[in-house]
Amino acid sequence: MDTHGRYGTRGTVLRLLAVAGTAALTLTVGLVTPLNPAPQRAEAKDGKQVLTVAVAQSVDSLSPFLAARLVSTSIFRLMYEYLTNYDPKDDHAVPGLATKWEPSADKLTWTYTIRDNSEWSDGRQATAEDAAWTFNTMMTDQGAATANGNFVANFEKVTAPSPTKLVIELKKPQATMAALDVPIVPKHVWEKVDDFTKFGNDKSFPVVGNGPFILTDYQADSYVRLKPNKSFWRGAPKFDELVFKYYKDGDAAVAALQKGEVSFVSGLTPAQAAALKTQEHVTVNDAPGRRFYALATNPGALAKNGKKFGDGHESLLNQKVRRALFMAVDRETVVDKVFQGYAKEGEGYIPPRFSSYFWKPADGQKISYDPAGAARLLDEAGYKKNGDGKRVGKDGEPITYRVLCHATDPPDKAVGKYLQEWWGKLGIGVSLDCRDNVSDPWLAGEYDLAFDGWSVNPDPDFVFSIHTCAALPATPKDVGATDNFICDKKYDALYDQQLAEYDAAERAEIVKRMESRLYDTGYMNVMAYPNAVEAYRTDQIASITKMPETAGNIYGQDGYWSWWSATPAAAGGSSDDSNQTGVVIGIVAGVVVLAGLGAFFAMRRRATAEDRE
Amino acid sequence: MTTTDPDEPTPPINPPIIPPVSPPNAPPMAPPVAPAVAPAAAEGGGGPRALARQRRRASAARFWVRYRAHRSGLLGLAALALLALIALTAPLTIGSDVQSVTDAPGRPMESPSLEFPLGTDQFGRSLLGLVVWGSRVSLLVGLLAAVLSVAIGALIGITAGHFRGWFATVMMRITDWFLVMPTLVLAIVLATVLSRSLGTIILAIGVTTWPTTARLVRAQTLAVESRPYIERAKALGGGHWHVMSRHVLPNVMPLVLAQTTLIISSAILSEATLAFLGLGDPTVVSWGGLLQDAREAGAVSAGKWWYLVPPGIAIAVVALAFTLCGRAVEAVLNPRLGVTR
Repeated sequence: MDTHGRYGTRGTVLRLLAVAGTAALTLTVGLVTPLNPAPQRAEAKDGKQVLTVAVAQSVDSLSPFLAARLVSTSIFRLMYEYLTNYDPKDDHAVPGLATKWEPSADKLTWTYTIRDNSEWSDGRQATAEDAAWTFNTMMTDQGAATANGNFVANFEKVTAPSPTKLVIELKKPQATMAALDVPIVPKHVWEKVDDFTKFGNDKSFPVVGNGPFILTDYQADSYVRLKPNKSFWRGAPKFDELVFKYYKDGDAAVAALQKGEVSFVSGLTPAQAAALKTQEHVTVNDAPGRRFYALATNPGALAKNGKKFGDGHESLLNQKVRRALFMAVDRETVVDKVFQGYAKEGEGYIPPRFSSYFWKPADGQKISYDPAGAARLLDEAGYKKNGDGKRVGKDGEPITYRVLCHATDPPDKAVGKYLQEWWGKLGIGVSLDCRDNVSDPWLAGEYDLAFDGWSVNPDPDFVFSIHTCAALPATPKDVGATDNFICDKKYDALYDQQLAEYDAAERAEIVKRMESRLYDTGYMNVMAYPNAVEAYRTDQIASITKMPETAGNIYGQDGYWSWWSATPAAAGGSSDDSNQTGVVIGIVAGVVVLAGLGAFFAMRRRATAEDRE
Repeated sequence: MTTTDPDEPTPPINPPIIPPVSPPNAPPMAPPVAPAVAPAAAEGGGGPRALARQRRRASAARFWVRYRAHRSGLLGLAALALLALIALTAPLTIGSDVQSVTDAPGRPMESPSLEFPLGTDQFGRSLLGLVVWGSRVSLLVGLLAAVLSVAIGALIGITAGHFRGWFATVMMRITDWFLVMPTLVLAIVLATVLSRSLGTIILAIGVTTWPTTARLVRAQTLAVESRPYIERAKALGGGHWHVMSRHVLPNVMPLVLAQTTLIISSAILSEATLAFLGLGDPTVVSWGGLLQDAREAGAVSAGKWWYLVPPGIAIAVVALAFTLCGRAVEAVLNPRLGVTR
């Protein structure tokens, strides 16, 4: 706020003006529509076309070797090229850094042709050497395998015989070779890093990359700023700047969209979506999501060295109990009341949007809403009610489950209230533990149940890999790739099998059997597949690519399509004038209010003069 | 309101200049022989007990007559009585089922209608019922937090005023430290560190708002202890406990009561603030919690005013009522503030 600068000037008039200005500013901020009806243009004063995207999720790390959150991986898509990319129409693999890829006859050696027209932003050529170094680092350094280790676990050897040729030799066949979701980083920059578990890639800007955008600035929980890569091989993005701006409060983000301060908002609540649908210059996009929304149980946290840790409730180790708990969850109500129709009822692990891998339980297998059956199952499992109607654990204490919830995710709290009543009727207590950052108890295994959700890639290998025994942390002190400490031999066998299966249809069959196994274990109970409900300003973004193109999401795509393809709306309109009017009205109103207050206090002062000492 | 003050309560504001403790052989300054001597004694009666009772009654009646003169105080009292009645009878009038999300009768965020006079919330629960039910939590937390805050403040104030010396210095520096700490920040930290429950919120508010009370009570204690009858009590063998509990406490009680009424309103506001910031127990219905729910459901940007306005107005009304009462009590007990304008 530039009014602050004026306080230093001597003179009452100036100071008064500044105060009035501040008051007016406060007023205009407070009253969004009446005083400031016209949206501000997306571009800054120097005519730069800025695309501002409101985000809420914190970046966990800007190092591609560590980060797993959606916001971070979406930014990597913009910063770095991957060997291959997914087609926005039907998700099939299309060229990225590699122009061509082919397996040997035994399918154990894959040869990638690396393009010769991709340049790092510091002017060096991106070559097969960079890709080989990235994979080799992940294979040799445990710390560099934190995020995407599942892709290289089966690699035997990676070499770069020439700048345009990358050869990967495998131990066993691997189905994900055309979908290696690993950002390729520049060797000449990253080979200076000593400890990959500590390096956050957020100290020196701009960060060297070869994606459609170049990261120029980052402030934790404040903004991520990127500029277009003019020499990007597929063509430079149209906007002059892309900013991810943090709004930890959903309503504030929507207000900013209504004012035109941001061009795009995702994760709308039903009420917000309904309200924005009627607003001018705003388009609401309601698409089938790529996320599942689940209730994960703590299966007894375990490290690879066999050490148990955490303090999950012992009753949850019983499969019958887990089944009973999920039996008492009415998924229809979750979709109908909490998501108000902006979601699909949960079935298997993979959302229906990925039709080839989507699986749903057969009638006999399905855990339908049946509170009476749940009570019976709990009785069978030996968790009977005591005199007060509360079920008691093996230790004789009434069972109260601690449910970890994300304080920033409104559906978590809402579903939590339902759980409290559904499970309360079974005689089981629920204490909701809502935190801004759930990582600490989560990684320590100090929870009973937790709200969980992952965005699924067109190739589902990653979301399955996080439930294998191999993903467990090495020791209780380490951080593993595991989601919630699941380690099931049967599931692991299926996982290895699908990874080695090159036939797409066969592999899909095995994937479905994995989903079936996961469903039966009751460790991950998918309640819903939330839609991607998002909105953007049509007077700032003329067009933007969805993925899938017909009815897809914009934020958090598998690729850079949306932000790369976004075209700015033609400048113009009378918004600047009315904006001025808004400010003038605001200042006048501020002065009037101030004058009124001044007069009031003056009178009061006079009236109480005798009383004061 | 029974005040067992031996004399008229002294003005709580402006701590008087503390006179040096008079030498033991100094002539008594005021004639009363025993602290029990009061106008009511002239009416006679059976023994000192009855006398005291009579005097208390008279003093309460006197208080009520003076309180009645403050119209705003009466208004606040009436509002409070009504609210207390609503909150206490809530289990009979609406029942605890109103909180249930699974048995919610309406559709999410219905606008006000005959069936739901204040509309429904995001789960389809009646907002009128929720606001009434939420009053129980808000009032309970406000009262308990204020009592806790005033109890801490009174304890520290009286002991610091009575013992003087290094103890008082240490206590007052601690008070100063709490006084300069931003209350809200401290409360947020406490509420974050401890588990999320009503008890935590009460503790967080109580522990952060006591310093003003402590300072006021200490000033009053100093004023009371400088009076000659305290010296006489000491000369007759009254120990620390006797002086603090029988002479100082009754004298600071009116001040403490006035302070409690005033702090309740700020405690209710603090509770709403903490709940609104998402630091309360998300499964308990309170006014601040309702506002937080409304914000998270996007009621602000969607223009669903009926989700926001009723709890907001309820908070304002209760805070106002307690403030009006507190002001009136303060004015009655403190003659310097009693001038009607």
